[in-house]
Amino acid sequence: MKGIRYFWGKSRLILIMFSYLIFLSGCWSSRELDELGIAVALGIDKTEEGTYSLTVQIINPSEIAAEKATTRPPVTLYKAEGETLFEAIRKMTKKAPRKIYFSQLRLLILGQSLAEEGVLPALDLLYRDAEFRTSFFMTIAKNASVEDILSVITPYEKIPANKIMDTITAAQENWAATEGVYIDQVISDIRSTGKSPVMTGILLNGSEDTGNSIKNIESPDAPTRLEIDHLSVFKDDRMLGWLNEAESKGYNYIVGNVKNTLINFPCKEEGSGKIGVEILRSNAAIDAKLKKGKPVISVEIEAEGNVGEVECQIDLSKPETLQMIEQKTEGDIKDKMQLSVKAAQEVYKSDIFGFGNAINRKEPNYWKKVEKEWNAHFVETDVEFDVKVNIRRKGTNVQPVQKEG
Amino acid sequence: MNNKTISARQFMYLVILFLIGSSILIIPGPLAAGAKQDGWISAILGTVIGILLVHLYHKISITIGNKTFVEAAIDIFGNWFGRIISFFHLSFIYILAALVLRNIGDFMTTQMMVETPLQYTHILFLLVVILGARLGIETIGRSAEMFITWMIILLVFLFLSLTPQLDINNLKPMFGSGLRSITSTSLTVIGTPILEMVIFLMIYPQVKEKSKAKHAWLIGLLIGGGFLTLITLFSILVLGSDLTALNEYPIYELATKINIAGFLEGLEIIVAIVWMLTIFFKLVILYYASSLGIAQFLKIDDYRILLLPLGMGMVVLSIIAYPDVAYFESFVNSTWLPYATMHGFVLPLLLLIGAIIKKKKQESGRSRK
Repeated sequence: MKGIRYFWGKSRLILIMFSYLIFLSGCWSSRELDELGIAVALGIDKTEEGTYSLTVQIINPSEIAAEKATTRPPVTLYKAEGETLFEAIRKMTKKAPRKIYFSQLRLLILGQSLAEEGVLPALDLLYRDAEFRTSFFMTIAKNASVEDILSVITPYEKIPANKIMDTITAAQENWAATEGVYIDQVISDIRSTGKSPVMTGILLNGSEDTGNSIKNIESPDAPTRLEIDHLSVFKDDRMLGWLNEAESKGYNYIVGNVKNTLINFPCKEEGSGKIGVEILRSNAAIDAKLKKGKPVISVEIEAEGNVGEVECQIDLSKPETLQMIEQKTEGDIKDKMQLSVKAAQEVYKSDIFGFGNAINRKEPNYWKKVEKEWNAHFVETDVEFDVKVNIRRKGTNVQPVQKEG
Repeated sequence: MNNKTISARQFMYLVILFLIGSSILIIPGPLAAGAKQDGWISAILGTVIGILLVHLYHKISITIGNKTFVEAAIDIFGNWFGRIISFFHLSFIYILAALVLRNIGDFMTTQMMVETPLQYTHILFLLVVILGARLGIETIGRSAEMFITWMIILLVFLFLSLTPQLDINNLKPMFGSGLRSITSTSLTVIGTPILEMVIFLMIYPQVKEKSKAKHAWLIGLLIGGGFLTLITLFSILVLGSDLTALNEYPIYELATKINIAGFLEGLEIIVAIVWMLTIFFKLVILYYASSLGIAQFLKIDDYRILLLPLGMGMVVLSIIAYPDVAYFESFVNSTWLPYATMHGFVLPLLLLIGAIIKKKKQESGRSRK
């Protein structure tokens, strides 16, 4: 009797261990690297029939890893159409050799016609599906079709999607006329009543015929290139138009996106010389208050910079000169912000700065009253600017190299 | 029958793990949906009410002496009525365990392994839980002591690495959603997980240092509730209340936002580890409590022979408990609170009243003699 119990005690443990083996051997839902087509860029547009047309840029792992240069392109494009986005993605398996894997996606390009029609329906899948992470930039194809942009082969960086992502990051950090926005930011802006989204545009510079051939990267000056353009303005989820460079910069000053940029202005009223100021950091604060029952937005900017370039003869050793430069820089920043607000209020009538949210934070009771027709109020809202620039240094030279006369 | 004990400190760890387990992913969404940017205040409010509940539970346990809920109920209300009360108490624990099991299954199939059928995740997970419950409360307590460090390290790491993404504007206007919606939303926290703490009445007799036990329970509640508040706060600070409410698992989404200097990315698995660890302990506590209770209910000497059959039932129950996630969401939002109040507040209160009356009777009987 004791023997049986002993045996049962031991064998039960073994049974449990065996049952583990059954489950472990299968690796359900496993995904092997050589079975996946890794997508780095996704382009979405609407066809004339109203269906979605999808273009996916997939990396060719053997080309990326190859040590010697090959003649095959580093990426492959696949296209499909479908009534829904998901259908188009699944239909792609008819053409692609592998199932497409979206976790490494770096870039989403929306066609202009889709953007003008409304992007929210297309975004649901991208935010719902567990395979999509949120770390890809949202952009809009400005002057070419999504497909043309995605087929450009880029010099320097092998994977075009990575090139665009890096360019957006670099341009945002050093030039500040653009902004890399992520999908959750866009969705949150569209859903919020107090802010409208913006997105970066992508320009195709050159001819699409040369861009999609490996010849494009055979000469140092590639004939067809991809460029990051300025910001597009949305109202709800529909694109209305584009800001120009100054307006885009003004937008970035207001929302506090400017990390590093350059400001130019002439030394004197007359003459050709110019002064360039490098802005190193800036802080923005948007505040709202009620004056006589009407909201007034005040935007406060504090920036720090260096004298970067001086083309004329001025006495840089005098503190007054630096003060003059500070004032002119402040004026330039203020002008750009005013241009930006003017464009948003008069041309597009869309609150891309989040002034509505600022009012909600400060005056929630007033906000509840105007929330529903905020866009109508936004157009009439007064905006005050207060810019303070500190120029601390002037580089390695005491005086301009320019000689008198 | 079962004279194994855990220390007050281990009990505190169990309370913390129990509170965080499964609530960590479920709670932030409904809180942000109900009270918008003030959801975290609701979490604090819920924890404060939890303090009162712990006082009640402690009071019950000293009144019924060194007995579990089931033993005490049968002792006080007699064989029949006592068993009816015990039955409800045990069914609450058992159903809660099945739901918690389903939570992990739903999470795995939604976020990580979309094609894997639910029952396989359930069976695999439950096997480990059964092993744990089989080893008894002492082992559970000691392993809690080991794993709590990991949970805290990972959560603190998550919080610290999210600091660059915090936007204080997401919290404004504070109290803007109104006091009424803050209080009504705090009911969600009270339902899951505060009222669920009633199951510790099955384990409380096994805590060694009775004098420290109440203190340990309170500290555990404060730490666990504090973590839930922080998690909700961080979700709102990073994602904003709208996206927090929009996401099925906001904290998982939160982890995808981690980006340290462009190379430390994709740390979602941290959340998954914390979630697995805490939910394992929550489940093992529930499972141990329910099998121990059922053994006492049926007057079986060793609860361990019940573990496997109960597990089979639980896999089935967890699958049929609700047909889809939408049903579960409405279940959590509308049905769970009254259900948990009934079993986590009304039944214990009944037990307390019964115990006091019985004590008075005994005392008066003694004095008459």
